[in-house]
Amino acid sequence: MSNPDDARSDDRDEIRLSLPALFPYGRVARLAVTGLASRNGYSYDDVEDLRIAIGEVFGLLVPEERPDARLQLTCVLLPESLDITAALAPSTPIERITDLSRQILAAVVDDAAIDEADGCIRIVKRLRGGS
Amino acid sequence: MSIGDAERDAQRELLETYFRTRDLEVRDQLVAANLRLALHLARRFSNRGVSLDDLEQVASLGLLRAIDRFDPSRGLEFSTFATPTIVGELKRHFRDKGWSVRVPRRVQELHLLLNSLVADLTHQLGRSPTIAELATAARASEEEVLEAMEAAQAYRSASIEGRSAASPDAGEAQLGVDDAGLFQAENRLLVEELLGRLAPREQLLLRLRFYEEMTQQQIAERLGVSQMHVSRLLARCLDDLRRRVESAQNQA
Repeated sequence: MSNPDDARSDDRDEIRLSLPALFPYGRVARLAVTGLASRNGYSYDDVEDLRIAIGEVFGLLVPEERPDARLQLTCVLLPESLDITAALAPSTPIERITDLSRQILAAVVDDAAIDEADGCIRIVKRLRGGS
Repeated sequence: MSIGDAERDAQRELLETYFRTRDLEVRDQLVAANLRLALHLARRFSNRGVSLDDLEQVASLGLLRAIDRFDPSRGLEFSTFATPTIVGELKRHFRDKGWSVRVPRRVQELHLLLNSLVADLTHQLGRSPTIAELATAARASEEEVLEAMEAAQAYRSASIEGRSAASPDAGEAQLGVDDAGLFQAENRLLVEELLGRLAPREQLLLRLRFYEEMTQQQIAERLGVSQMHVSRLLARCLDDLRRRVESAQNQA
């Protein structure tokens, strides 16, 4: 259990994706993340929120295609939430972020932290019960 | 497709007569004379998931529009004027239908089915359905449902081309007249105050819709979701807002 590379420990699954930083992989990122959310019983509205969020994150990190870089997504699936960290490798600062992008992220996930200098974005979407 | 000089002169005469008199019989003659052009253009758009019958109807409508708008005094050949009008009408049809060429029919159908299932199940369950519930109701797998949701993105690519020609009031039509009233000047202050109390997602939507004055389609494109989803979310938060406005007014 102490191995940090364990894909599963207790009730958390960790999924890592490494995608080419090319536009067509935005769709792959969205489908992969919404697939995880669906597995955990997220609602249609929440899955739509996540699709918007991943689209926004992708747009911020990959404003233009970068054949030399990869988009690294680390998704931690917990019983109550889905926690996603995204960054480019090699790490690239986020050059342009608009108020609208911030507002969109704030509107569709429960928690969004953007580190512009490190080019890293972390979002958390909690699983809402029954209502 | 070339027409002889005599035919061309006859047509020019008909166009001039129609321009002056707006006589529907003359218009019918013009439609008959140019139907071949419309059908020819319709066929260029076939095999894209819309039936040829539909396309021919849309093209004929485009032809009618072209006849109505044609001004003989400008000296243009009618076919030169009509072609872009008819093609525009066909493109608009694809845009309104919302599909780019690449989405398989099965996924398109599931996407459309989901829109009604989501509304039904949300109503039935009193909450947003899970993907598994939607998949069961649609008799599809969860992956297929997710892919169909992703098809909203294809909507986006299909609609970008025709955006400038989009009717600017498309969003209003969806929203209903009441909503305009809600945002009239006398309500604006109250609405602004109440806006601050809404959840961030609702604030965002209302801001985009009423302060940035984006249409539902533009919001859908910016967010990468279907216009139907935007419409549903807006309707929900407008309901909520209206209730708050009413209760605030009752208290005043």
